[in-house]
Amino acid sequence: MKAAEVVNDLLVQRFGVAMAEIRHETPLRNLRMDSLALEELRVLIEDRLDIDLDEVALTSRDTVGALVAAVDGKVAA
Amino acid sequence: MTARQQPFSAAVTGLGMVTAAGVGAKATWHSVTEDRVPGGVSRQDELADLPCDFMYTVRDLDPGAVLGVATQRLMDRFSQLAVIAAREAVADAGLEPETWDSSRIAVVIGSAHGGLPFYDQQHAAMTQRGARRVSPKLAPLTVVNGAASSVCMDLGVHGPSFGVATACSSGTVALGTAHQLLRAGVCDIAIAGGAESTVSRLLIASACQMKAVSTRREDPAAACRPFDAERDGFVVGEGAGLLVLERPEHARARGATVRAHVCGYGASSDAYAPVAPDPDGKGIERALRTAMADAEVTAGDVGYVNAHGTSTVVNDLVEATVLERVLGSHPLVTSTKAMTGHTLGAAGGIETALTVLALEHQLAPPTANLEVPDPRIPIEIVREQARPAAFHCAVKTSLGFGGHNAALVLTRG
Repeated sequence: MKAAEVVNDLLVQRFGVAMAEIRHETPLRNLRMDSLALEELRVLIEDRLDIDLDEVALTSRDTVGALVAAVDGKVAA
Repeated sequence: MTARQQPFSAAVTGLGMVTAAGVGAKATWHSVTEDRVPGGVSRQDELADLPCDFMYTVRDLDPGAVLGVATQRLMDRFSQLAVIAAREAVADAGLEPETWDSSRIAVVIGSAHGGLPFYDQQHAAMTQRGARRVSPKLAPLTVVNGAASSVCMDLGVHGPSFGVATACSSGTVALGTAHQLLRAGVCDIAIAGGAESTVSRLLIASACQMKAVSTRREDPAAACRPFDAERDGFVVGEGAGLLVLERPEHARARGATVRAHVCGYGASSDAYAPVAPDPDGKGIERALRTAMADAEVTAGDVGYVNAHGTSTVVNDLVEATVLERVLGSHPLVTSTKAMTGHTLGAAGGIETALTVLALEHQLAPPTANLEVPDPRIPIEIVREQARPAAFHCAVKTSLGFGGHNAALVLTRG
């Protein structure tokens, strides 16, 4: 499964974000993803894809696209 | 000599209940007064190898659908049940969170174990899959005050809020504390009661080791049988029961319907044992007498008692003995736990709400599953069917592990 699919699926299923709200350029905080939610999302992505995102530094000001790119980088690695 | 406070009656203007007997106050009351057999008790797969493999759970409720995923994910189940009950209680009281003075509202919610199921799950995640798989939400979801903070966030309450933890009397102590906050003028409205959900293999395993829960595996629906000669322990349940209490002048000014009054509260400590009540019942007797003095009522005034009645051998005998000693044999006494399960920290909230409904309907609910009364129980317990009667004053008693006793006195609205 591609990184974007995993991120989108988790945002919708686990955080109650509407699919229509999820755009590449949308800051995560606009999806009501605060710092605690981002840490929770990190654990879920790591679990789903069996990767380690500990070194990835993202905040809720970053965009969905930046998150997907970071996950893609780890999957590719 | 102890300084006495001025008598104070808090108006009960709203009720909310989510229980194994029904979702909503009406559904729970109907089940408690009309159903003969508990429908909410069932075997749980995760308890299959334990001496007690059953408990009471809330049916026909999808918290995700009611609350939405974005809200639901910020709460463990006990807080979800609390929020759903709080919404019902506030709507029942005719209050509108969009317009109320939110700084004058308090939330006080009791719970014995908070988010224990989430603890249980996360501990399993750590031991099975490592520390990197543990949720960052463990602390905020499991703290006992989680139900109170969740209700505040959901309804927009900005007055004082906190959890109360006195084990199985938590809900009653929360209501008594709310009564005191209102009396002191700290707030105009208090949303108070209890919430609990302990569908947890860890907790039930320990309760089995303690020999506190029923092991009637062959017939779970008959396992909780308060005051019965064949009782062998309590049966854990989940649920929430919240009341809206108001300063009487506040309720009057907005033309609210006053469904009952909470007019006396008493609490005490056994200082005896971590689990067993003082065998002489001196602690619960002190709480009951204090509540009656606070309400300025005498034994002859009390017409109905919703007892703690857990279905353990010791509790029911000690409690009934104290009720007879303090009140005599005339009040109608019931335990409603065979229909709801023992909801631990939620019990006082649920059972006080049922006491309000008993006062309104002038009807004492029966004690389900009570077939052969224990001959050592010195009072008659209402059983088989609900009993109509005229009573103006009722009592709710609760006892908690650790010797935390509490009693409330209520009167008709």
